[in-house]
Amino acid sequence: MYQCKDIADEVNNYIDGDLTIGKRIGLFFHLLLCSCCRNYLQQIRSTISIVTVARPKEQNDTDIDTLAKQLHNLCHQEHDHNQI
Amino acid sequence: MSFFSKLRKNDESQLIKQLIAGDQRAFQRVVSAHHNTMLSVARAIVGEAFADEVVQDAWISAIKALPQFEGRSSLKTWLLHIVANGAKTRVRRENRMSSLDDNWESEPADKFDRTGHRYDDVLPWELATPEAILANDQLQTIIEHTFQKLPALQRAALTMYDLEGIEMNEICNILSISSSNVRVLLHRARTTLHHKIEQYQQSEK
Repeated sequence: MYQCKDIADEVNNYIDGDLTIGKRIGLFFHLLLCSCCRNYLQQIRSTISIVTVARPKEQNDTDIDTLAKQLHNLCHQEHDHNQI
Repeated sequence: MSFFSKLRKNDESQLIKQLIAGDQRAFQRVVSAHHNTMLSVARAIVGEAFADEVVQDAWISAIKALPQFEGRSSLKTWLLHIVANGAKTRVRRENRMSSLDDNWESEPADKFDRTGHRYDDVLPWELATPEAILANDQLQTIIEHTFQKLPALQRAALTMYDLEGIEMNEICNILSISSSNVRVLLHRARTTLHHKIEQYQQSEK
């Protein structure tokens, strides 16, 4: 019989569908009986949705416009080189 | 091939033609769409110190190789493989290793009794849509800050799987780790972010 601790450990594999069928059924029955774990599952699903919308980024000092211009110039040089 | 993947492929082959033709806007679009994920992958493999350099080199290699791009994978996956290969070469040269066992906040053991049952009630979050929640600048800042403090491998796994929708087998190839390790990284990253959002929710009550 699965317990709340098992839900906490496997909640992400449960959401991503990466569990054996036996374990998935076992966790599903625990979720049917335990409102705390249903709420926990809902919180993790919400976390994924919130983070997906928030789209946090790496700390990054690169100036994207400058890099794009440098690559653009490089592309021109390559093109000219190939034409010679 | 699904309608959406055909659409993506057509859109991408158009974009690549624009890049080869030297369209400035196409460069801006590609760099701003993929630079962050490339940096995330480089940091996960080679660490902070060399990541910027590895990504710069990867961009240069990609631009030079662009006319040979055959479109067998998406442009994003192709770029990530280039940066990952560059980072792995750099790792071998520098003899550096990344560890999966970074410190992280699991669901604390004191939340469960000896039989594995929770002591406390877990209440549902009273949430509007994620978009409405994120209209709150404070929460957006908490998520950004928490994400940036995650270990680099966790950030890379979360970025690729949850934010970029890259398939698990591709992530395993890019990071050269097993799917069970990617699952562990995702679990840890999401759990840490959940804790911080939960703390925020409780502080708001």
